[in-house]
Amino acid sequence: MTSSSPPNAPTVFDEIFARLTPNSIFQDARATGDGIAVAVIDSGVERAVLEAKFLAAGTPIQHIEGAIFRPTGPPLEYTGHQSSPHGTTVADIVLTLAPRVRLYSADVFGPTGSCEVETVIAALRHCIDVWNVKVVNLSLGVPEHKLQQLPRRQQLQRAIEEAYFRDVLVFAAAHNEHPLTRSYPAAFAPPLISVDKGLFDDPLRFAYKLTEQVEFQAHSRGYLGPFAREPATSWATPHLAGIAARILSLKPDLKPFEIKTILYWLFRSGGNGKPAQ
Amino acid sequence: MTDTVLIVDDEESVRRTFQEWLTAALPGANVFAVPDAESALKVANEYAVDLAVLDWNLGSGSDGLRLLEDLVEFRPDVVAILVTGFAHQATPLDALRMGVRDYIDKNQDLNRDTFVAAVRRQLDRIYPAKQQRELNRRLAAFREAVEKVLPIVQTSAAFNDPVPLPAAVKSLLRFVIRGTLAADGALIVRHTEADGTESTVAYGSDGVALPTPLVPFGKSLAASVISFQEPIALNDFDPKALGPMELLPFEANRSCILAAPLRVAADTVVVVELFDKASPGFTEEDRRLIASAAEVGTDLLRQAIAERQTHQLLFDAVDAALQATAHLTDMPTATDTAPPLSVMARLKEGLGADSNATAPPETTLRLVEAVRSLAVRHGPSAVEHCVTVVNDLRKLLDEMTGTA
Repeated sequence: MTSSSPPNAPTVFDEIFARLTPNSIFQDARATGDGIAVAVIDSGVERAVLEAKFLAAGTPIQHIEGAIFRPTGPPLEYTGHQSSPHGTTVADIVLTLAPRVRLYSADVFGPTGSCEVETVIAALRHCIDVWNVKVVNLSLGVPEHKLQQLPRRQQLQRAIEEAYFRDVLVFAAAHNEHPLTRSYPAAFAPPLISVDKGLFDDPLRFAYKLTEQVEFQAHSRGYLGPFAREPATSWATPHLAGIAARILSLKPDLKPFEIKTILYWLFRSGGNGKPAQ
Repeated sequence: MTDTVLIVDDEESVRRTFQEWLTAALPGANVFAVPDAESALKVANEYAVDLAVLDWNLGSGSDGLRLLEDLVEFRPDVVAILVTGFAHQATPLDALRMGVRDYIDKNQDLNRDTFVAAVRRQLDRIYPAKQQRELNRRLAAFREAVEKVLPIVQTSAAFNDPVPLPAAVKSLLRFVIRGTLAADGALIVRHTEADGTESTVAYGSDGVALPTPLVPFGKSLAASVISFQEPIALNDFDPKALGPMELLPFEANRSCILAAPLRVAADTVVVVELFDKASPGFTEEDRRLIASAAEVGTDLLRQAIAERQTHQLLFDAVDAALQATAHLTDMPTATDTAPPLSVMARLKEGLGADSNATAPPETTLRLVEAVRSLAVRHGPSAVEHCVTVVNDLRKLLDEMTGTA
């Protein structure tokens, strides 16, 4: 015989998710990103600028480490400087939301100012194997028409899947013209968390909005530098990565699919994430 | 290097014998044998004579030394062996100065072995200088060829450059400025050499290069645009909130900026920047227009920059070749090199320490250097002659002064 519970009776999941509200998580004093290693795969980070900014704000950050990557060969030493301001703005967003994370800068643009898929893969593997990070932010992507070669696309996908199976959360920015232009690795949605841009009245708000393989929307304005004010998926992605770091600082052993589920539920249960525009 | 030997003797039997001896002994050499000065000069006019074997008495009032004077006109480095039955008549100093390196006395020691040995000795002696001369000659020929090629390369570059870079920049900027109604624009080209050397050049809307940017590229607005990988508009541009960014001079005091990256090559990236469109600033349509223009402009600039780099590589190579051979005529031969100053200083110190010395060390050193130079230029026999002259002078002075 089967149990005869009423058809609309709450399940155990309903009870769990009833306790899981944006307020219960984000108002928790422990939700600072503490104990969580986050890698920003981007154009490097100007360390002194961020250290000075957060020190002045009364929330000193942990020492930022990093490396400069190339398509082949070992990574070069990170000297605390950026290859371009983009990476610093991205890192600033992560630290604004989760100031106690241990941040690693993976500079994949380096002195040449260009970024190849092979460089991103090398950086991603380093983040997983050497730095043992829990969260990776990729505010960059390769448009589909520039990644026609299947072997290269498959290499990138394999690296993303490897991160998933190693319990590393990868946040990847959708193209700013998504869905008109698809961009990788954001289009590899299942093993990672793809992020589109949206404008919210609170940077901790976000939305689950499935659009052509891109699942989430997050706040798309940054805080540092003139470009930060322009809405972009580059700024939306570190917002969601920072939110994930805060959740992980409460329970660091969460797996990527668990985080994705929690993010989904936070959106549904809290009324969180209705885009302001 | 083939040796060329010229035998001049008015006696046919002697001439023929000398030629047979040398042809057999020096199979790789050019051996010419002529009876008189006129024929000798004809050969010298046509061939680079290394060694002349000259009869002292050529008949018709001509002599080997006078012929040697003429041969030197054709080949300043020519050396000679004087064959004579009248050795006592020779004026050794003049002969040495003119290039006579050896004497063979017809009446005493002339046979096949002594003759071939004398010729071989002189050819061996001149070999290093000849080798150096040959190298210089080839380098000079190379330089001459490069100098001839250079104007052709430059002309070819001018003809083959279908879109000169300034023209390409000007066309691209004019198009996007007109299309977006921007007030001004600029284009920034960043190139990374194979050795990692970086260079950044900015061009104004007229295609003319702007002063070299002093801001580190990694902190520039252009670098940020490259990282964005797509066009971006800044309509509420606040120059006070730059954060980790620094502005280039032509970006300062702008009300709004629209910028797009152009991936021209793996080592060359370009950013187009448009400025100061009237309120409300750049629109989404402007962003799409500059994105499309960037696609077209990438090909245009790729061609212009690639042409320029190819030509520059060629020009650099030609320039390097010209510089490498610039001082060819001043190139010293190894045999002319003076002793190092340290050696001369030690000699001077040693001479100064000799308590019996009557001449100052400088004077003695001058004599040593004169003898050394003599030996370098004219061989050991010249030194022997010098010693003889000094001894003769000493005897003469001893006799005149009654010194024992």
